[in-house]
Amino acid sequence: MDYLQIANSAPMWIASGLAIGLVLFQAYIFAKKSYNTGKAIGLSDTQMKSALKGSMITSIGPSLVILTGLLSLLVTVGGPMAWMRLSFIGSVMFELMAVGFGAEAVGVNLGTDSMTQLAFANAVWTMILGSIGWIIFATLTADKMDRVQDRFLKGDKALLKIIPVAAMLGSFGSLVSGHLVALNKNTIAAITGGLIMAIVVPLAEKDKLKWLREWGLAIALFGGMIVAAIL
Amino acid sequence: MTQKRDVFEGDYLPFIVRYGKVTGWLGVLMSFGPALVLAVVYRIMPPTTAILTAFIAMASAVGVNWFVEPISYFPIVGVAGTYMAFTSGNISNLRIPAAAVAQRIARVEPGTPEGNIVATLGMAVSVLVNTLILTIGVLAGSTILARLPANVIDAFNYLLPSLFGAIFVQFALMKLKLAPIALGIALALTLAVNLGWFDFLPGRPTYLITLGAVFGTIALAVAMHKRETGRP
Repeated sequence: MDYLQIANSAPMWIASGLAIGLVLFQAYIFAKKSYNTGKAIGLSDTQMKSALKGSMITSIGPSLVILTGLLSLLVTVGGPMAWMRLSFIGSVMFELMAVGFGAEAVGVNLGTDSMTQLAFANAVWTMILGSIGWIIFATLTADKMDRVQDRFLKGDKALLKIIPVAAMLGSFGSLVSGHLVALNKNTIAAITGGLIMAIVVPLAEKDKLKWLREWGLAIALFGGMIVAAIL
Repeated sequence: MTQKRDVFEGDYLPFIVRYGKVTGWLGVLMSFGPALVLAVVYRIMPPTTAILTAFIAMASAVGVNWFVEPISYFPIVGVAGTYMAFTSGNISNLRIPAAAVAQRIARVEPGTPEGNIVATLGMAVSVLVNTLILTIGVLAGSTILARLPANVIDAFNYLLPSLFGAIFVQFALMKLKLAPIALGIALALTLAVNLGWFDFLPGRPTYLITLGAVFGTIALAVAMHKRETGRP
C-alpha cells in the first residue's frame, strides 16, 4: 500500500480530529472563563468585544502563512498529520525539519528518495517526540512561574509593567534581527512592516480613527509583504 | 483593588490551572494518537533506534526552546496564556500577535490581571480562526495551491518578517528607550551566530539570540528602573 493511502485514511483523520477538538475545547472554556472574570473585575463589554474583533482580524494574515505551510506539509505527510500538527503544538518550520530528520533516520533522503511507510511512521514519531517537550514543560511550570515572578519582583509593582515589554522586545528583536541582517527582500518586509506600524499606532489614538486599532497590524503586515514583493 | 485580586487569584487562576493541567496532559496523550493508529491499525512501528536517532537530532536542534520559550513568553501571556499557547503552537507567529493586539485595543497593560484576561481572549480567537482556515485549507487541499499564481505564494514568504517587524515596533513605541537596547543585543548576537562564534555549541545555536536578547533586555530594563527610582 502506498504510504499516502495510510496517511490519508479515516483512522488518521479521527486521531488528528480528536487532538484538534481538545485545542478548541480548551480555547472555549478559557475564553468563557476569561470573559466572565473580565466583567467581574471591571472590563467593559465593548472593550472585550473590540479586542476579540481585533484579534480575529489580526489572526487571518498569520493563519494564511500557516496555510501555505500546511499545503507544503500535506504533500509529504498527508492531510491529517499536516492539519493536526499546525493546529496543535507545532509550527511550520519545526514540522518540516522533523519530517526530514525522521525520514533520514530510516535511510530515506527527502527530495531524492521516495517516502516509504516506515519513513512516514518515523516522521510521525519524530514530530510527536520532538514537540511534546514544550507542552510538558509548559504544563508542569505554568502555575509555578507566577510565584517565581512574584519573588523576583519583590513587590515592586512598576517592574511588573516593564518586564513583559522588555521580554517582548527581546524575543521579537531576536525574531526580526535574522531578517534584518539577511539584507534581502525579507529585510524590506521587516522594515516596512515596522514603519507602517510606527505610523498606524499613533494615528489609531485619534477617536475618529478607532477602527485602525483593530486593523492596524493587518495593514502593517500585508503592507510589508506587498512592498517586499513589488520592489 | 483587593476585591479584583480576590476574583483573579481566588477564582480565575485556580480554574485555569485545573483545566490547564487536564488539557495539557490530555494534549500530551493525544499527540500520540496518529502514532498509535499506525502501530495498532496498520502494524507499522519504526525500530526504537530509528526513533531515538531522529529524536536526538530534533532535541539538539530545538530542545533548548522547550525551556526557553515558555519562560520568555510567560511575562507577556501569563498562566492561562502559557497553557494555551503551548497546546496550540504557532506561538510567535500567531498567538502572541493576537494577544498583543487584544491588549492594545482594550488598553490594558501586559502583566496585570486585565492584561492576562484580554490576552487569553485574543489567543482563543486566534485558535478559532486558525483552525477554521486550516480545516478549509486541508479539505480543499492542494487544489488551492495549484490555482494560486506562483508570485502570490512567494509573496507569503514576506508576511512573517513583516509581522515580526510590526510587532517589534508596537512594543518599541511603549518603551522607546528600551527598544534600541533590545534590537542592539539581538543584532549583535545574530551576527555573532552567523559568523560562527558559537559553533562549539551543539546544533545551530540560534536559541542564544533569544536567550541573550530576552534576559539581557529584562536585566537592563530592571537596572534602568532601579536607577531611576533609586530603589536598591
